[in-house]
Amino acid sequence: MATEIQEIDLKTDEMIINMGPQHPATHGVLRLLLTLDGETVKHVEPVLGHLHRAQEWQGQNRTWFQYQALIDRVDYLSGMFTSWAMARACEQLDGVTVPERAEYMRVIVSEMNRITSHLLWLGTYLIDLGAMFGFPFYPFREREKLFDLLEEIAGQRMMFNYIRIGGVLRDPKPAWFDKLKAFLDEFPDRIDEYETIVTQNPIFLKRTKGVGILKQSVATDYGVTGPCLRSSGIDMDLRRTRPYSVYPDLKFDVITFDKEGDTWDRYMARILEMRQCVDIIRQCVEKIPTGDIMGKKQMAGMRIKAGEGFAAVESPRGVLGCYVTSSGGEKAVRFRWRNPSFCNLTILPELLKGCPLSDIMAIFGSIDIILPDVDR
Amino acid sequence: MFANGNEISKISTLTIFWLILIFTIVWMVCWAVGIALPMLCTQLWGDQANLLNEILRALTPVIAILVFIPFNAMFMVLIERRALALWTVRKGPNRVGPDGYLQTAADAIKLLLKEDITPTGADAVMHTFAPILFFAPSIIGAIPLLAAVTNDHPLFHILNLPTGIFYVLAASALPVVALVMAGWASNNKYSLVGGLRSAAQAISYEIPLVLSLVTVCLMAGTLDLVKIVQQQAGGILNWNLLGGGALVGLNQAIGGGGAKALEAAYPMGPVSYICAGLLVCSLVISFWLYLTGACAEINRIPFDLPEAESELVSGYNTEYSGIKFAIFFLAEFTNLFVVASVTTVMFLGGGDNPIPPYILDKIPGIPQMVAAIRESFFCQTLHIINPETLFATLWVIAKVYGLVIFAILIRATLPRFRIDQLMAFGWKRLIPLSLIVFIIVVFAREFVNIHG
Repeated sequence: MATEIQEIDLKTDEMIINMGPQHPATHGVLRLLLTLDGETVKHVEPVLGHLHRAQEWQGQNRTWFQYQALIDRVDYLSGMFTSWAMARACEQLDGVTVPERAEYMRVIVSEMNRITSHLLWLGTYLIDLGAMFGFPFYPFREREKLFDLLEEIAGQRMMFNYIRIGGVLRDPKPAWFDKLKAFLDEFPDRIDEYETIVTQNPIFLKRTKGVGILKQSVATDYGVTGPCLRSSGIDMDLRRTRPYSVYPDLKFDVITFDKEGDTWDRYMARILEMRQCVDIIRQCVEKIPTGDIMGKKQMAGMRIKAGEGFAAVESPRGVLGCYVTSSGGEKAVRFRWRNPSFCNLTILPELLKGCPLSDIMAIFGSIDIILPDVDR
Repeated sequence: MFANGNEISKISTLTIFWLILIFTIVWMVCWAVGIALPMLCTQLWGDQANLLNEILRALTPVIAILVFIPFNAMFMVLIERRALALWTVRKGPNRVGPDGYLQTAADAIKLLLKEDITPTGADAVMHTFAPILFFAPSIIGAIPLLAAVTNDHPLFHILNLPTGIFYVLAASALPVVALVMAGWASNNKYSLVGGLRSAAQAISYEIPLVLSLVTVCLMAGTLDLVKIVQQQAGGILNWNLLGGGALVGLNQAIGGGGAKALEAAYPMGPVSYICAGLLVCSLVISFWLYLTGACAEINRIPFDLPEAESELVSGYNTEYSGIKFAIFFLAEFTNLFVVASVTTVMFLGGGDNPIPPYILDKIPGIPQMVAAIRESFFCQTLHIINPETLFATLWVIAKVYGLVIFAILIRATLPRFRIDQLMAFGWKRLIPLSLIVFIIVVFAREFVNIHG
């Protein structure tokens, strides 16, 4: 009797998982609709809008002075940059000349803010990779020191409201610069410290090398900007390609890698950028002239001349643009933000296709998005 | 180092306080049930009390374990949180009670009072049964270790099984069933993925773990935990960590046996010496394999994929709350303790003093101290302590909690593997390595006269 080969028909199904909006690693309230085959991702659909606060609409219903204080909340990790983008757009309309000391102060505080943003990213990224309790807390130590300095001049630790239309809010005392210099001397050693623990850690390398490679064509198609773009080999940094403020007077290299970057490259780009920030701040502290810091009178009823203005700055996450229309009144007619997190998030389905479940966090974390910045 | 000395001294005080508290309570309970009560009964009723006394003595180890486990878990959670805080530039819990000593007690009360939720659509029976099945093996597995870690104290003598280590391993393989149950019964996709991950992980890492212990048993020639500990007596060179008895001859030679002892232990000259060296290397690798496998077995970082927080929320225990979650939590820390105890017994000489007796006896004061304890009122009349058990227990405590602190340090340092990398590491690296070590040990032990 011939043996019959019995075929067992095992039914396998794809599993749909809702990752978020309540999930420890989606950095807020992003919802990812995952279609999984076992532990392999078949399809991802980011669902946005859980944190929509109508920031643009609020801009049309607040006076210029009120809205200045509000926009720090758009990207709460780098409030200086949103303020700066808005201030530049409005100054373009109004024709205010910003005093040079104020421009230097803007660069100093913004670069400090860039460091704090990257430090927070470093800590949370390592948590995403599963290092729950170790080094994530070390970056926060330096972040607190920077916040102490910023608090001293802005009066706030995160929602600074320091860069205003026409200048900056307060002129720091000379002692503040000494404290800043002391921090700058110490900080590169601290970065070395993180690097000794993280950069060549075998498990870290295994989790990040060759994972989530961002192709140049994908990056340019989707409008990715910031360290993600530069680590994929495209040399684009607004601070140099379309220079603004006092950046033309400063010497610095744009951190660009010469190949299509993976998550490790994106990590490295941010580490190098932090070192770069230290150099930039140092130069500014040496060069900063004396003089006035405000070119426009700050008051509740201030008006901006009619017209349309657009300005973009290079935020820690990429190009942050602000478009504003004014009719010459106390309020704006229209505000429109170009947020780097939103554009960077759109590449997620491309990057995640076919990767294992654990890599979602490694890739998603490396893009460095901020949900309030995505949803506004 | 960013650790400040103040914090270290606080943590040391906390450790010493808690350890004294735990072991005083446990030992007083054991003494009361196993020694004092039978003595009293004999005084009152004479020979008629024999049956009662036997029952009391048999109950002692069980009571000891049941008293020990909750206190121990409370202490371990506290020390883990404080030590992690020390290594991560934070403060840690320091508010409840004096300097945070009662934090975990408060946590335990909170968990017990919380509402016990069974999610909609969950399999209620399995959902309830899973934490129990997870916890029970850690108690069962801890029992045969008691005799080994107390240097075969008469009270715990009945627990010693001839197949001790086999029994412990069998018990430690059971919890994975509970994890799959918990994952399946929760009616949650994250839990399901966590449960399946834990099954895959436990099956892969059981093999190197068992093979590494098999090499030790092969060197010892027995599965009996007490015998394995007794063979390792006599200083650090006799421990299984260093050759599993291959260096006993060397130890004897240093201790006064001279060239004759060397010749007896290494009969084939240079070949024997090379084999002894190979054995030392193999057993050190085995030790490392065991630690790695054990880390995966009890789901600690870097192998904590079943409960990977950033991916699976909390894995198999996502849907657990209240007392069921407390039992999961308790069992996890008990497992860590059991694993550290097995390592101590199998590799680190159990309660053995690392300093060999021929040096120890020359240190002035120590023999007199031992004699004084032996002749004291506590030992002679009350039978509360005897020097062998006392010193063995102290060394076991030092070694076990040293390993626990080491596990915490690893947790403070490493990120997590990915599941496919974890599997590749297990099947392509650890299992071949453990087989190679096993084969080397099989052949090399023929050329060395093990255990003198």
